[in-house]
Amino acid sequence: MAGWLEQNALLLGLALLDGLAYAALVFMVAVGLNMVFGVLRIINIAHGSLFAIGGYAAASLGLFLAARGLPDWTGYVALVLAAALVGGILGPVIERGVLRRIYGHEQVLQLLVTFALFMILEDAQKLIWGVQPVSNDAPLRLLGTVDVPFGEDVIPFTAYQLFVLPGVALATLVGLAWFLRRTLTGRVIVAVTTDREAATAMGIDARRVFLLTFTFGAGLAALGGALASPTTTLVPGLGAATIVLSFAVVATAGLGQIEGAAISALLIGIGRSAAVYLAPEFEVVVPYLIMVAVLLVRPQGLFGVVETRRV
Amino acid sequence: MSEALLQARGLHLAFGGVKAADGIDLDVLRGEFLAIIGPNGAGKTTFLNMATGYLRPQAGTIAYEGESILGLAPRAIVRRGIGRSFQLPQLFTEHTVLENVALAVAAREGVWSPLRPLLRPAWREEATEVLARFGLATLAGARADALNEGARKLTDIAMAVALKPRLLLMDEPTSGVAAAEKMAIVETLARVLRETGVTAVFVEHDMDVVERFADRVAVWSQGRIAALGPPGTVLADPAVQREVIGIEGPGAAAAGLPGGIAAGHA
Repeated sequence: MAGWLEQNALLLGLALLDGLAYAALVFMVAVGLNMVFGVLRIINIAHGSLFAIGGYAAASLGLFLAARGLPDWTGYVALVLAAALVGGILGPVIERGVLRRIYGHEQVLQLLVTFALFMILEDAQKLIWGVQPVSNDAPLRLLGTVDVPFGEDVIPFTAYQLFVLPGVALATLVGLAWFLRRTLTGRVIVAVTTDREAATAMGIDARRVFLLTFTFGAGLAALGGALASPTTTLVPGLGAATIVLSFAVVATAGLGQIEGAAISALLIGIGRSAAVYLAPEFEVVVPYLIMVAVLLVRPQGLFGVVETRRV
Repeated sequence: MSEALLQARGLHLAFGGVKAADGIDLDVLRGEFLAIIGPNGAGKTTFLNMATGYLRPQAGTIAYEGESILGLAPRAIVRRGIGRSFQLPQLFTEHTVLENVALAVAAREGVWSPLRPLLRPAWREEATEVLARFGLATLAGARADALNEGARKLTDIAMAVALKPRLLLMDEPTSGVAAAEKMAIVETLARVLRETGVTAVFVEHDMDVVERFADRVAVWSQGRIAALGPPGTVLADPAVQREVIGIEGPGAAAAGLPGGIAAGHA
């Protein structure tokens, strides 16, 4: 065992760093999915597509700005701007145009409708960006690499993945916790999640809360995709891969507090990266093995509460 | 003074073959406490649901302050000044008691400023003041899911009062509360409602509560108002007594009122 650890220490270190960066991205998607489900009571299968489109939009905008000869730092503005545009446009369009018609309907219908939405978004994405890989890693290269000391060795790792991704995820976590627990809008969102009928009876406009929550969740997914775009090559199928992984995170965490989604994203992110380095043939199944293992012991998820829900 | 705040005329509503409202005519007078009594299934809650927009009558009219509120959504009716509390308190269990009441204040104000705190000074102050009226000040910081049933009921009504209704409809405000607590709760809520000048309609099964707090009593039976008047008169009516015994006595299934009861509108 000790020998194995010694031999694989570097790989484990790399898996940890990689997993952290990956968990940060998955968290951004999963926390939005969780919030949207809590408030709208709709499992949005198209949520992962917003991640993919956010990524494509960010890469395109970054390349466009660079081609215009704008300074390099505008690449970071492009990431945020692209996410805001995707969330701010697609969010309201989808909520008003599609979801509003199916609130309170049977879940089968809701699943079919959001699945149809997923297919439409996937095709729209192929129509706009084609099927050839798209990539813009300028924001990643610009920050260079950092030597992370690990025992006697150092692991060179990109500063973008080491600081920016976990940093933004942490800021999202803290900001969201503050927003939901202190602000009027946040408290209203939690109230609608707890008891929509009671909130409506009080005169709260639940439809406005739905629109806001969905747009916000869509924006977070798009931001996750935009932040991921410099670290990967964008290809069709990214949306599907993302939604499936986010489901695993949400199911593992349970419909719990947002901190629960963060911890479960870490668990699954690091577990997956460990598999990538140590047992690549299991990469795809490890997140689901973790999920199944957790659900066997706690069917409501790690942080889920059976009788009441939290956001 | 005895001017009608809420006016219902000829309300009809049937669920399948069951007539939940079979010609309801009722004036709720400004400033009064009107108790609704009657056996389960007589249509008491149905009436509250029609008056607050949750159910639409198949025939008839409902006017509030002289204007029809028929077909308005519950939210719109709340905004006009008709509050409602439910048989099961609808508290936001993730929130503290203070936050629950502050949410009601916020809902009434209709302010939408995303990043400002819920417990901003003005709202915190108002919510604190409402809680103090109900004797709930010490529970302000407690989470709503930690309260006992009596405190839950009072918090629920405090939220309804924070919406500043002119008419408050309460569905069994003391159901589920320990008998010892009951009178104290009704006393508190009656005092607050009188202080704030709120007209109240409440469904009640406890005749002691009705006798002590109601200005008038309406007896519901099979979707109709079988008797209406001051509690002293109405509760002394033998037919009403049978009705009341029908709901209070164990095993005595309410067979409904015999047709002979005097439907006297006071």
